Amino acid sequence: MSGPIILGLETSCDETAIGVVRDGVVLSNVLSSQVDDHARFGGVVPEVAARAHVEAIRSLTHRALRDAGIHQLDVDAVAATRGPGLAGALMVGFSYGKAMAWALDRPFLGVDHMEGHLFAPTLEHPGFEPPAIVLLASGGHSQIVLTRAWGDYETVGATIDDAAGEAFDKVARFLGLGFPGGPAIDRASDGGDATSIDFPRALGDRPTDLSFSGLKTAVVTFVRRHHEAGDLPPLSDVAAAVQEAIVDVLVAKTMNAVEQTGVKVVAGGGGVLANRRLRQRLTEACAARGIRLFLPSPILCTDNGAMVAAAAAFRLERGETSPLDSEVDSSLRLGS
Amino acid sequence: MKIAAIESATAASSVALVDATGVVASARRIDRRGHVGFLVPALDFCFSQAGWAPGDLDAVAVDVGPGLFSGIRAGIATAQAVAGAVGVPLIPVSSLDAVALGAATGHRRIWALIDVRRGEVAAGAYRPVPGGVVRDGAAELIGPEALRATLESDRTDALVVGEWQALPAATLRGLHGVKTGRPRYPAAAAVADIARNRVEKGEAPHPDEVRPRYMREPDVTINWSDYREEGPWA
Repeated sequence: MSGPIILGLETSCDETAIGVVRDGVVLSNVLSSQVDDHARFGGVVPEVAARAHVEAIRSLTHRALRDAGIHQLDVDAVAATRGPGLAGALMVGFSYGKAMAWALDRPFLGVDHMEGHLFAPTLEHPGFEPPAIVLLASGGHSQIVLTRAWGDYETVGATIDDAAGEAFDKVARFLGLGFPGGPAIDRASDGGDATSIDFPRALGDRPTDLSFSGLKTAVVTFVRRHHEAGDLPPLSDVAAAVQEAIVDVLVAKTMNAVEQTGVKVVAGGGGVLANRRLRQRLTEACAARGIRLFLPSPILCTDNGAMVAAAAAFRLERGETSPLDSEVDSSLRLGS
Repeated sequence: MKIAAIESATAASSVALVDATGVVASARRIDRRGHVGFLVPALDFCFSQAGWAPGDLDAVAVDVGPGLFSGIRAGIATAQAVAGAVGVPLIPVSSLDAVALGAATGHRRIWALIDVRRGEVAAGAYRPVPGGVVRDGAAELIGPEALRATLESDRTDALVVGEWQALPAATLRGLHGVKTGRPRYPAAAAVADIARNRVEKGEAPHPDEVRPRYMREPDVTINWSDYREEGPWA
């Protein structure tokens, strides 16, 4: 007997993303990225994002169903991200999902975007089970979550200012590397010497909290000073050193959380976890401590519909559904 | 013919089910931020009142604006999902057309206004004709002074309807031959009426053509000094 087929809609930020999942298997996972729409502004513009979602949601949903080889009547439940995210963007997927569920007479589930990221590793790693420390880092959020069991989460560390992805974006913009900053800095760092510049690692006194706002200032100061002095190092060195500073902090704080909690499993999610250097360093750090690490493929690290469906499958199995009058919650907090 | 109409382009949201006999069920709420929470329960309520199932529908109609951006999007997303789920055409209707139809009596030229904020309204002029209204010029975004000047220079008696209360009180004061009236908001029943005529004429636009009518580019505030701050390698 197979489990339910779940359609997951994700429109919390700048990706319209739809996935179909059954029994932890991704049947389809499609997205329409808006990167080009936002690149000229150097960041995500909420109204531009909401406009792009409403243009894409219908045809993309049909594509997800087609790619999964199913008809919409085969869908057993519809899920959509309820929050956190950009309110106007969330409303598009949430309205569409709720109305589709109602018209097909299927249950609807509003899903916490962060819980979606927590479930993403399960789609490729059936062996991934809590308890685990999960590093969630993207352009909009950075936190370290203790997952005691599915549905039982505690945020043990979080950024006190910028998200890690935001730090990448701001520095990349200053360096003239474009948007989004993470992949741009990742590419620009090729061949660079990460040890040549020692940018600050903040919040040494708070083992699991993060801070990145000082990093941009340090980079700006460094580049201006050395530009004036005429001894500016190559861009690849600066990019590599910036990346190393961000990665260092993310890895160290995650490992601190592991030590504090004693758990033996680490996982990750969010766009920043697609960063090659971060994946490499996490792999090394976990291997050195005998910790099992479960990282989703980059396509499942960034925002996607499959993770929304995966989290919804867990909630549905527990008998949870969302009422027809439910609303989006742009400031939803994991575990609340 | 059974049509479900969804309207959420202003502070009011409404849903109406109509067939050949007229409005079979309707629901309405005024809540500028409540569109997402209202529309599907309202559909559910109306279908249960009417004893209809979604599969009974022949078409879905939706107000595509102008109006509140997020309200319009919530309405279109909801309508697209319902129309797609039951496989019927989706008919886009202008909020100005819906307001004007609601005022279609008498001989006066009808000015339909929708509040689009930032000191402007969307305005459309209509002529009453037997059984409804016809557009009398293109819709535009207009400020209070320009609207007053237009109404002053127009010698036809005018009835201003829609969200004229969003204008400064002096805008329409003392204008000769100009009256204000109802409806204040577009209604789903009017949206359904307009859509029914178009379905009967065989209109069935491709669903991707049903998009919001914003009439305004996104409000993008860029921190230009930051944006232009380019590194020496740029």
